[in-house]
Amino acid sequence: MSSAPHTNTDSPPPRRKIIDGGFIVLLAVTLLAAALVTAKYGAAHALATALGALGFIAVLLPKVGAGLFVAAAIPLLLPREKVSALIGQESGWRGLLLASAAGALLPGGPGMTFPLAAALFAAGADIGATLAFVTGWSLLSLNRTLIWELSFLDWHLVALRIALCLPAPLAVGLAARALTLRRRRAGP
Amino acid sequence: MNIVIGTVLLFALAALTWHKLATPSSRRAALTGAANLAAFTLPRLFTAMIGAALLAELMPADQIRALFGAGAGLTALLLATLLGPVTPGGAFVSFALAAAALKLGATPAAALTYVTSWSLFSLTKLLAYELPFMGGRTMALRLAISLPIPLVVGGLVMAFRLG
Repeated sequence: MSSAPHTNTDSPPPRRKIIDGGFIVLLAVTLLAAALVTAKYGAAHALATALGALGFIAVLLPKVGAGLFVAAAIPLLLPREKVSALIGQESGWRGLLLASAAGALLPGGPGMTFPLAAALFAAGADIGATLAFVTGWSLLSLNRTLIWELSFLDWHLVALRIALCLPAPLAVGLAARALTLRRRRAGP
Repeated sequence: MNIVIGTVLLFALAALTWHKLATPSSRRAALTGAANLAAFTLPRLFTAMIGAALLAELMPADQIRALFGAGAGLTALLLATLLGPVTPGGAFVSFALAAAALKLGATPAAALTYVTSWSLFSLTKLLAYELPFMGGRTMALRLAISLPIPLVVGGLVMAFRLG
């Protein structure tokens, strides 16, 4: 197994720009909403609404802090190179399970996940494992659940969604295998 | 109460992670990583929370209840599935909208259908990342297989009165 030579787990992840296009859009939408609430109900109501949200954030902060720590620690515990090498080697049910779990656990947005999925496919993972990986990330991303979903939705709703979505990456992977097999058999 | 349970669970997970990291240098690396992540995330979280609270004030409560409330049935789930892909922005936008709609009377089934549909089919992710990296055929295969998932999730929540 020849993984990348610099598997240095101490190297910090690439720093993302704190102010980017997405943040500016978010800021613009928030300011627009503030202006509309002010126009409709008056400035006092807009201010009270914003302060109420700030109070809610204060209650949430310990939870968010713990979530950030866990999210930052996952890549140290599970180096990406090792995980992707494992998925390429495995097949059958084990391959699907591993790919689904890797999708859920490996942190990163779409800009990191889709290139990795393409690399897995190129490196020998089958279409089932590749789609299980993408679906595991889409539906079960631990990072996004810990930091974002739990901040906005009640934990029992989050748990319900996770429980219902848990079989989905496996099902998608199995269906993808069945469909491509049939196509290959029917084809020339 | 919900927040307390969630916080306790997350602290237990953080403690387990701390234990697993084992060495002082990896613990320090995790703390540095968490600080960097916080610098990126917290400004967005603050802005999104305030924005969500303000948007909830502006959302037409009557229409939300009519379209996504208990009386809307399967139509609510179909509409929620359609709205997922066209939601602009990142995770915070979709979760904030779902939370605001829940507050105004949307059913949990509709909210979870919407969040699931966004997770699987967000056009921003599809067009900017999946299409260029995975290619049209692989993307089409994934979409075709995954299409029923949001409706199945919402349908199960509705049928068994979960959530």
